[in-house]
Amino acid sequence: MAYEKLLLKNAGRENSHTIDVSLKAGGYEALKKALKGMTPEALLEEVKASGLRGRGGAGFPTGMKWSFLPKTRDKPRYLCVNADESEPGTFKDRLLIERDPHLVLEGIILSSFAIDCHTAFFYIRGEFQKGCRIFEQAVAEAYQKGFLGKNILGSGYDLDVLVYRGAGAYICGEETALLESLEGKRGLPRIKPPFPAIVGLYGCPTIINNVETLANVPFIVERGAAWFAGIGRPKNTGPKLFCLSGHVKKPGVFEAPLGIPFLELLNEHAGGMLHPDRPLKAAVPGGSSMKILPANRCEVLLDFDSLAAAGTMLGSAGGMVMDSGTCMVGALLNLAEFYEHESCGQCTPCREGTGWFTKILHRLETGHGRKEDPDLLIDVARRVEGNTICPFGEAIAWPVQSYVAEFKSEFDDHVTKGACPFGGAAAKR
Amino acid sequence: MPEPTPPAPPAPAAATAAPPPELPATGPDEVALLIDDKPVVVKKGTTVLQAAERLGIVVPHYCYHPGLSVAGNCRMCFVEIEKMPKLQIGCATPATQGMVVRTANTRVKSARESIMEFLLINHPLDCPICDQAGECRLQQYAAAYGRGESRFVEEKIHNDKGVPIGPRVVFDGERCIKCTRCIRFCDEVSKTHELGLFERGGHAIIGTFPGKSLDNNYSGNTVDICPVGALTWKPFRFRARVWFLRNVPSVCIGCARGCNVELGTFDHRIRRITPRNNPEVNGWWMCDLGRQTYEPLDGRPRLEQPAARGAIAAGPPGGAAAPAIPVTAGVTPGEALDRAAALLRETAARHGAASLAAIVSARLTLEDLFMARKALQQAGIGRVVVPPHESGEDDPLLLRRDRTPNARGAEIVGLGRPDAAATARLAADVKAGTVKGLVVVGEDPAGDGLLEAPSLSALEALVVIDAWRTPTAAAAHVALPATGPYEADGVAVNFQGRAQLARRGVPAPGLAEPSWRWLRELGRRFGLAGSWNTASAVFDEAAAAHPPLASLSHRKLGANGHPIVFAEAAPGGGAPAPGTEAREP
Repeated sequence: MAYEKLLLKNAGRENSHTIDVSLKAGGYEALKKALKGMTPEALLEEVKASGLRGRGGAGFPTGMKWSFLPKTRDKPRYLCVNADESEPGTFKDRLLIERDPHLVLEGIILSSFAIDCHTAFFYIRGEFQKGCRIFEQAVAEAYQKGFLGKNILGSGYDLDVLVYRGAGAYICGEETALLESLEGKRGLPRIKPPFPAIVGLYGCPTIINNVETLANVPFIVERGAAWFAGIGRPKNTGPKLFCLSGHVKKPGVFEAPLGIPFLELLNEHAGGMLHPDRPLKAAVPGGSSMKILPANRCEVLLDFDSLAAAGTMLGSAGGMVMDSGTCMVGALLNLAEFYEHESCGQCTPCREGTGWFTKILHRLETGHGRKEDPDLLIDVARRVEGNTICPFGEAIAWPVQSYVAEFKSEFDDHVTKGACPFGGAAAKR
Repeated sequence: MPEPTPPAPPAPAAATAAPPPELPATGPDEVALLIDDKPVVVKKGTTVLQAAERLGIVVPHYCYHPGLSVAGNCRMCFVEIEKMPKLQIGCATPATQGMVVRTANTRVKSARESIMEFLLINHPLDCPICDQAGECRLQQYAAAYGRGESRFVEEKIHNDKGVPIGPRVVFDGERCIKCTRCIRFCDEVSKTHELGLFERGGHAIIGTFPGKSLDNNYSGNTVDICPVGALTWKPFRFRARVWFLRNVPSVCIGCARGCNVELGTFDHRIRRITPRNNPEVNGWWMCDLGRQTYEPLDGRPRLEQPAARGAIAAGPPGGAAAPAIPVTAGVTPGEALDRAAALLRETAARHGAASLAAIVSARLTLEDLFMARKALQQAGIGRVVVPPHESGEDDPLLLRRDRTPNARGAEIVGLGRPDAAATARLAADVKAGTVKGLVVVGEDPAGDGLLEAPSLSALEALVVIDAWRTPTAAAAHVALPATGPYEADGVAVNFQGRAQLARRGVPAPGLAEPSWRWLRELGRRFGLAGSWNTASAVFDEAAAAHPPLASLSHRKLGANGHPIVFAEAAPGGGAPAPGTEAREP
């Protein structure tokens, strides 16, 4: 099925990143509407009513998050935009930043207006050099046109947007590590509570939102909460960008309403499996840190609640598809190496557990596994899960638990054969 | 270790528990909660871990330290709290009204076991050669909460070992559990910011910032608070097993602060000095200079026997240097004291009582100072000076500019505060020849440059009571060996006006006696009555004679001392040392 493009409506145009193209396509119309006719409270209520849920991974209702800000105004409030997109298999924010920065920026301005914030920080992943250049240019253009700075469009509302580049650590996408990094410190997650809405950047109330989340706000303003809530499924509303990579013919970012069937995404949008003779073996519908689904359980709808019911999560919608030629031990080893490398080292279970996973998996993949290793992996993962400062622990514990549990016989095969039945490519890299 | 060894965890609550006890009533700033079915009332803001400690329930922890901010990284202090799906860390969870906490059920035990296993997989397990063994949290908790065997068969992560991270501290990157106590100490207490965490994940390692060294006067505290053997104190490395140490509660003699300390002694030698928590004085900390105050005992030449040389008539009056007769052994204490008394008496007879004077040290104990005043008065020596020993400025944390431990004690017993001007005047009078007889107790005016050799040799009576073989003692007609630092019980009054009992940690060599004993014997030769045989008896006498000490005794001073009341307010008052307050979470 084809769907109306909203988030990507502008992304395919030539020079879509420039303000002129954006304005021609209706950019900043929502901002004009809001600043002329809406109070911040009304805008916040509109976002609440739309049912918009965070697109960064957890799916927390955006309007509710905003309403956690303290009512007092003794400190400034900050909006931090999380553009540290680093999850393996996730590349949707990069597309928005590079192809339609003004949509993102309009969302930032509207959201800042709604939460009465006058300084917004755009924390962009260090590796996104091109995106950063484009976004900085977009910010400069917006200042020129009076969409940023003092007295925006004569409304009396002031806002500055500051662009900060990260230094390439995955952990800085965790919202409190992002705040530490913004403050110039080592990117280590903070203990919660207090939550950032109460004590955030520089000790001030702070809202942290994902790029895609904020890109939805202009549409909510333009067409209304009721229209937005009509897209997708109940409690899982609005358009969504889905990434799909791996063994598919046409990997990429696809826009569809929340709740699109995974197999529709795979077969109609991504062109189906890459090799006709290699059927689907497993898929991670949500992103590398989510639980894996074997092929026979891939008939799922891609929204927050449906995937939770299926025992996994939508996460950042960074779907990965694996065909029958994939070694699951190797796939997990590949993932474990990433998480070992990216663990910040602050708290014990993650610091020590991530390395342990890699070592066990490496032994299994190279044919030195012991028969107790698969169970040990699950047990160690159980001891990491829930015991860490930030969700990074789960981000590796869940894949380990699900890969081993769903493909136990394949892990056992590695032990009994004393070699990887697929050639052990993952361990040779 | 400043914190006690945890006992084995209590048994889990019975499955068929009786209905939980009612929560007690609370005040406006208080909350009541149940921990392992025991009710407890604590102030708002108290953490679950602290509330459990109030009940005597041990919640094991590595990274939490009451004198530092909460890091919450070790994950050892997990507790289960009703209505919270995940286990919570006790160090960072504030106690709230009606909270129901379990610290020892199967789930909590399993989590602790997990953390122990994680901490040990990359730990070198080199306890047999580790100085921390015996006071190591990893050992203690492994025994109490660990699984007893490892499931880890991989190669451990290797890291730098034996790194001289500072001039006095050695770092072992493999033993380190990254609890960051040392980093937080340097950031929050010493405020010197030398340390940071570098690298990531399992390769994370503590280190100094480029161009920096862990070289601040409080670096030793990082060793104390290191819960494992990652940071060790260079002077103590490989010197003694901690379980052989006899730990004597005492008081540091390095400055006017009087930090409460523990003397770690083995084989009649002090092997290390560590701080003992006293929130009124030093909190959990002490300075590196203080830690090294015992070192002269190991190397500086001592006076061990009484010595006497020359005779009163040997030198021509006011004339050339006395013949350099080496300090001789073989003089009994009685003979030496007789000689000292005779010299002083004859000098007074020849030049008048005004030709006699004394220099008494504020490094002495209150008992010494009290007896000095009494004995010198009895001998007719009215002119007594106390020289100051100052260096730099008071630092913001502990170390005082006044490097004598007992200046206020000297004031209390009537000798007056250390006085540079009076000391200089006395030195001038000795040089001018108007002072002919000098008693020096615990000072080295020759070594300190106050008196020069010709002035000393012009004296007709020079009686020295000291622990060290100093230039002054070498020039003395009579030298009497005194106990050195940490070799005798005695009271010192710190700059806040707090009387503290310093306990003897090691025996004195040879015939060394506390100065007050020599002074008592000298005084008796001038008719001093009284038979004080212990320092505590001397203190009782001093307390009876000097109102600020009224009602105090060695027993009453106990381990933590007692503030004394002056007629006028004491400078600094009784306020806690800066940076030593327990933190509110």
